[in-house]
Amino acid sequence: MDEKPAKGISRREFARRAAIASAVASWAPVNAAPITAAIAAASLPAKQAQQPPANLPKLSPEGQAEVEARVQAILGQYGSRFSEEQKADIRRLCTLVQPPLDRLRAYALANSDSPALYLKPLVEREKKPAAAAPAKSPAASAAPSANAPPAAKTPAAKKP
Amino acid sequence: MAGEEIYYLSVTELAKRIEGKKLSPVELTQAYLARCEKFGPRLNAYARLTPELALAQAQAAEKEIRRGHYRGPLHGIPYAAKDLLAVKGVPTTWGAKPYANQVFDYDATAIEHLNRAGAVLLGKASMIELAGGMNYRFASASLQGEAQNPWNTACWTCGSSSGSGAAVAAGLAAFAIGTETWGSIVCPSAFCGVSGLRPTYGRVSRFGAMALAPSMDKIGPMARSAEDCARIFAVLAGHDPKDHGTLPLDKAAFTYSPSMDLKARALRVGWLTNAWKTMEPGVAKVIDAAEKTLRRYFPSVRHTTLPQGPFEDAANITMGIEGAATFRSLLRSGQVSELADPLGQINGYVNEQLSGADYLQAQRVREILQRKMADLFDSFDVLATAAQPIAATPLDFNLETGLAFPDPLGGIGNLCGLPALAVPCGFTDQHLPVGLQFVARAGDDFGVIQAARTFQAHTDWHHKHPRLV
Repeated sequence: MDEKPAKGISRREFARRAAIASAVASWAPVNAAPITAAIAAASLPAKQAQQPPANLPKLSPEGQAEVEARVQAILGQYGSRFSEEQKADIRRLCTLVQPPLDRLRAYALANSDSPALYLKPLVEREKKPAAAAPAKSPAASAAPSANAPPAAKTPAAKKP
Repeated sequence: MAGEEIYYLSVTELAKRIEGKKLSPVELTQAYLARCEKFGPRLNAYARLTPELALAQAQAAEKEIRRGHYRGPLHGIPYAAKDLLAVKGVPTTWGAKPYANQVFDYDATAIEHLNRAGAVLLGKASMIELAGGMNYRFASASLQGEAQNPWNTACWTCGSSSGSGAAVAAGLAAFAIGTETWGSIVCPSAFCGVSGLRPTYGRVSRFGAMALAPSMDKIGPMARSAEDCARIFAVLAGHDPKDHGTLPLDKAAFTYSPSMDLKARALRVGWLTNAWKTMEPGVAKVIDAAEKTLRRYFPSVRHTTLPQGPFEDAANITMGIEGAATFRSLLRSGQVSELADPLGQINGYVNEQLSGADYLQAQRVREILQRKMADLFDSFDVLATAAQPIAATPLDFNLETGLAFPDPLGGIGNLCGLPALAVPCGFTDQHLPVGLQFVARAGDDFGVIQAARTFQAHTDWHHKHPRLV
């Protein structure tokens, strides 16, 4: 069997440990552990690493870990797009979104509480010529793609 | 043509004159276009004027009316449409740079309905980029720049139907079409001192309109009175197989006749005491007076409260996730960085990270909230409170912090798809308009119209307009 070396860790485990380390790093007091502080300083924009953001909600460790995971997911996927100032702002926004999520999740629901979503079967459809293109909403038809920037004239959408 | 007052006549009054052949739709359109060219750019009210289309539509209306074919109260009436409604062959920018050259080859259903009614499109009203779907920090979050409030050009109109508010308030159109996902009709109506109807979700087709949060997006009129809103809404409303979210035929359609008796039903009005945590003193004074006026004409007014719970959070999360999903390609491509607003450039990335489980939790809470509101409407026909707790803000105001006050009624109303009508009810000491809003049970759009019409029958705030020089 193609097993991993006993001392190695799986990618999933690595990701899990990285997330925990990252979360701990950003929560640990700077003077408590130089290593975690250094990690924290490295992972934060310079300005933010020096002074903790003001007026941000206090979060539980779990909430903070979630914020950090969200920040890392954004930076991991799109990090090169952002300035340091934007990165700091993303961290702030990720923090601000946590209390509403916590409040929402804390709302007691019964198993039978169904969501305000249901399938509405498509029982009617306009008759259209056989050659017509499939229906498209403007959002779908005109949404820019990475390959075709819409700054130039966007192709007109087909009338459904 | 008469003097400046013509620009501030209601649709109802203009229609009377047009039907009686005392007012030419062509002359009216020419006059409005001249005024739009003069004041429109100064206020950033329009993304684009459509003079050729407007004159062609006005000429067609005039010919038909002369031949005795009068289509109804919007025939020959000039209006502005928010620049997220597709108009065939005319750029539809959604207020955002990445879509600056976007042109559709069909009309939105709302535009089709207005065309059928013989209304005259003066142009596309400016708006906040993507209707605020990526969030924004400043009034300048628009391809056209910040819309200026005709009552005080150092102040903003509110958004995202910014140009629609400015155009109606400044007499640059007899009415305008706005849209609301959360606050985008009610707030500009309040800040600009006009009447704005946010219809029940699903009564007006969104086909051809930019989607933001499909389970919350609505289209509605902004005009000079509740009666005008009712007339326009009657044209817009109806089932549309092209918008899967529209209600069935019998629930979507709306008919309106001025003979509809204001006393058809003794409205039970609930005055909300927990809609706003605090209110600007100047606004509070006006709202207190409005409550007294209401009590005079609705003896049944009683204080009541909105249900407590994470309902505003559910609305925020629903809107955030749906917005991020709708504009995912804009985020993924990186073109979101072309938005004008610094918050708009990054906030979508945060919303994109919210989970499906959280979305579903919000929808489960939404279902409970719908039942709670239905219970509340067993005791009241209409709820009333201030449309906003503040008056128009300065143009350079930081909206992220300054407009961040809780708005449970906005969240609840939009999450449950409830109709709302905002009407002017006075002015602050700085002579900025203050709005009063009525909210009713889903489907009872006539309830808010009846309440607002009654209020306007006994007040004249809706007849006030700014002086532009």
